[in-house]
Amino acid sequence: MAAPTVPQPGESAPREFLHNLRRLPSTFKGAWLRLGKVPESEREESQATFHNFFLHIHSVRVHVRTLAPTLTLGLGLIATASFVLLCITGVLLMVYYKPSTELAYQSMKDIHFTVATGRFVRNIHRWSAHVMVIAVFLHMARVFFTASYKKPREFNWLIGLSLLVVTLALSFTGYLLPWDQLAYWAITIGSNIANSPRELTDAVGITGWFDPGGFQRRLLLGANYVGEDALIRFYILHVFVLPVVLVILVSVHFWRIRKDGGLARPEDSMGGPAEWGGQMRPVFQPLASKTYGLMALVRGQRPPVNRGPENTLMSWPHLFWAELAVFMLTVLISLALSFFFDAPLKEIANPAIPENPAKAPWYFLGIQELVSYSAFTGGLVIPVVALLGLALIPFLDRRPGGEGIWFGTPGEGLVAGRSALFGLVLAVGMLAFTVNFGWLRSWLPQIHQLWILVINPGTLLVLLYAAWSLWILKRKNSVRLAAVALFTCFLVGFAVLTYFATVHRGPNWEFYWWPSQWPVH
Amino acid sequence: MNHPSRLYRWLLLGSSLVSLVFLVLAAVQENYFSQWQVVQRQYQSLLKDKATDERGQELYRSFRVELRQVSVPGLNAVDRCVSCHVGIDDPRMTDVPQPFAVHPGDILEKHPVDRFGCTVCHQGQGPATNFLDAKAEDAFWDYPLLTAELTQSSCLSCHDPERIPARQVELLVAGRQLYEEKSCGSCHRLEGRGGTLGPVLDDVGSKTRHQLTMVNLDPPHTTWRWHQAHFRDPAGLVPGSQMKNPTVTEREALALTVYMLAWRQRDVPESYLAPDKIEQKFRAFHPQPLGGEQVYRQYCLACHGDGTFGQWNKTFQRFIPAVRGPGLRAVATPDYLEANIAQGRPGTLMPSWHRQAGGLLPEELRAVVAYLQRGETERVVAGSRVPRGDPDHGERLFAQNCIGCHGPAGRGGAAPELANPTFQQAATDEFIVTTIRFGRKETAMPAFQRPGVAGLTDAELADLLAYLRQLAPPASGQAAALSPPGTKKGGGLP
Repeated sequence: MAAPTVPQPGESAPREFLHNLRRLPSTFKGAWLRLGKVPESEREESQATFHNFFLHIHSVRVHVRTLAPTLTLGLGLIATASFVLLCITGVLLMVYYKPSTELAYQSMKDIHFTVATGRFVRNIHRWSAHVMVIAVFLHMARVFFTASYKKPREFNWLIGLSLLVVTLALSFTGYLLPWDQLAYWAITIGSNIANSPRELTDAVGITGWFDPGGFQRRLLLGANYVGEDALIRFYILHVFVLPVVLVILVSVHFWRIRKDGGLARPEDSMGGPAEWGGQMRPVFQPLASKTYGLMALVRGQRPPVNRGPENTLMSWPHLFWAELAVFMLTVLISLALSFFFDAPLKEIANPAIPENPAKAPWYFLGIQELVSYSAFTGGLVIPVVALLGLALIPFLDRRPGGEGIWFGTPGEGLVAGRSALFGLVLAVGMLAFTVNFGWLRSWLPQIHQLWILVINPGTLLVLLYAAWSLWILKRKNSVRLAAVALFTCFLVGFAVLTYFATVHRGPNWEFYWWPSQWPVH
Repeated sequence: MNHPSRLYRWLLLGSSLVSLVFLVLAAVQENYFSQWQVVQRQYQSLLKDKATDERGQELYRSFRVELRQVSVPGLNAVDRCVSCHVGIDDPRMTDVPQPFAVHPGDILEKHPVDRFGCTVCHQGQGPATNFLDAKAEDAFWDYPLLTAELTQSSCLSCHDPERIPARQVELLVAGRQLYEEKSCGSCHRLEGRGGTLGPVLDDVGSKTRHQLTMVNLDPPHTTWRWHQAHFRDPAGLVPGSQMKNPTVTEREALALTVYMLAWRQRDVPESYLAPDKIEQKFRAFHPQPLGGEQVYRQYCLACHGDGTFGQWNKTFQRFIPAVRGPGLRAVATPDYLEANIAQGRPGTLMPSWHRQAGGLLPEELRAVVAYLQRGETERVVAGSRVPRGDPDHGERLFAQNCIGCHGPAGRGGAAPELANPTFQQAATDEFIVTTIRFGRKETAMPAFQRPGVAGLTDAELADLLAYLRQLAPPASGQAAALSPPGTKKGGGLP
């Protein structure tokens, strides 16, 4: 018996009930998916995008340049995808993890040994965190070298910077939670960096009544040592405060992308050929016989009239295929790493047995290398100056041009290459010099600490990088190229320092060619 | 012609498939091929083979492959060893290989697994569910699995080893005897008794491999391998170690190692302690005095040897005086000896041995003094009253005759330090003058006034004495605090 398609008026209520019950799957599907089927026309594809809560932040059509894998390398998405993975695995870990110094380590062992696939889930959490930190760094570099911070995207660059800081904070707070030796001593080092203003106040002799370093450290740890209070603080920051902040900032970040007109790209040229069998065609073909009025307010210098082929494709399905692919690629990377490499878990935290060398998480090792010269300048002044410098870039470099093109400003590739070489040689040279000849304290043991605070390999490196950038500014007569010079130098310097401190620093922060040469204590 | 999202669709398909493979592999590995699961399935077939009677059938039928653990809150232990050692308390499992075999001996009768767990005696990583992690040798775990021989070191935590059948704690008891025989107490302190030159040993068994110098030890870097090698050659393992080589055989080194591992300050609840352990602890607080010779052998011998000859100690670059020789007996009073032992010689290697320091009882101090003075004594008596002369002239005499060995201002060199506060307080004028006059037979100290030979005159002796007394450091609060109550201050002070 074929079910009647429409209930007849005057039919009895029981019949209507049965009728509706029978049609439940399709009515539910319609209610849920709104469209109720795979979109077939561009109109339906548009609806699929903007009728969906999760998709509606995308525009309906996406520029073909945005889709090209070489523009973004998918880095922002990789960071987002790893954050999603981190949230999922993080919640699973929270089920078993107990944030107390008495129980934390035991609960880690339980997760490792007895929780079904607990070891695997923890590995994914660990590796995704590393993937996220790396992706965020590279994403920043991508945005810089494609000049995508330029007007109107200045503010989104700032949000991106805040996201970098929050990402590092998330990873750092998570570092303590296993409560093993690695965690304990890495956080001890980290909190000592927070304590570093003491170097200045001690040198000047005012720590007694003005002690911002001690205050920062106590604020972070809730005590003068890494203990129960620090653990619960880090836990709350790690599982609640920072993720919420990150989600809010990421939402704004995405929203601004949309409002700023999608990813940065150069102006389209007129009259490009329609590609891909007519899927990509000009959306707007002005007719000479008609006049056009402005139908909506959009940002930009002029209304998008007479602009010709916009080189756009439907977001559904092209953009969503791309996003899904990058997401799954991130999942694959994390899974593969997690399958083959276990996340480290050392002995239970023991304040009586210091790790030597005690190293901070890898992304802070460059800073730790600077801290080994001077805690205050290396741990606070230089990072703050660097962040401030990064924040100022879009406000100092305001000449349009090169947006959305790798090394798009004329001469940029050359400057970037030379700066990379300059930054590399200088950083390596400075490290080699310091390792071989020591620094002021080794030559003049009685020297006042203030001198070392001001003149150390870290500050010299920063000053020389700045000088190089100023020289480029004068010689090339371009703010953008000066920014490229400085950014490249800093990026290379950061990479060199991080690599150096990771591989070549051993017990007592002494130089070794390889960790295998570290003396057994 | 390429579809615009063709690349992404292939990427999505590929990465999804490979991800799926990883997920499936992880799930299978975790749920079917964990070591404990493989082991338990083998055990299940063992149970089937052994199910000859009603009870065996029942055991086989009720057996489930599942993670097993013993949780002992009192000992702070969660031990999953029984996940693989499933037959640990099944007496039928005698002819099967590890890990299925029953626990050897009758130990489990008094130490049921569910009350004691495993790691309380065997150490190792209890939470682990595979053997490599449970053994935890050279792994990130503080206390790896003890070898079978070493496990007896754990008995001391709850027992007085002397009340345990000797065959079970052979090495532990031997180790303790060796500790006394080799006079380890001369330098090391245990339960409040012993010297101060070496580390205190009460918690030495709790040390982890990170707290020992492993540089000269081949892996695996376990604490017991370190101890055993260290007893054979201390300086060979720890460069610059001042520890005297105890000259032991490999087996003796093992026994000492067991004894060292036994010393762990663990928080064992009282209900786990054997009654004899409580008695032993009581005895440690209220020790029975030892005889003089025993005290000497346990706490003096390592440095002073048999005490009849003074020696130059190469390690310490110091002169170690003869304390049992006739020369000293000839001049030293019991008070002098007791003061030196009780207070030690500050600034030298001789520590203080009274109750609050080295832990010797007053009776023991007297007994050891009596032991030192045992033997033929030809008491030499100086003039009834020893005058003091001109210290300036004494200083010149000192520079001519004494400075070579006793050092500038008597600060010591090859010969003992004369400016030492204990010496200055405890030695009488008589003692000093007599020693200079007749020398000290068993040492390098010559006689400076021999009949028929030119030597120092009595007047010169008086001058020298005056100078030596000037060397005494001003009596400080610290020096006063060093002398135990009731000890007679050295006589002869004006």
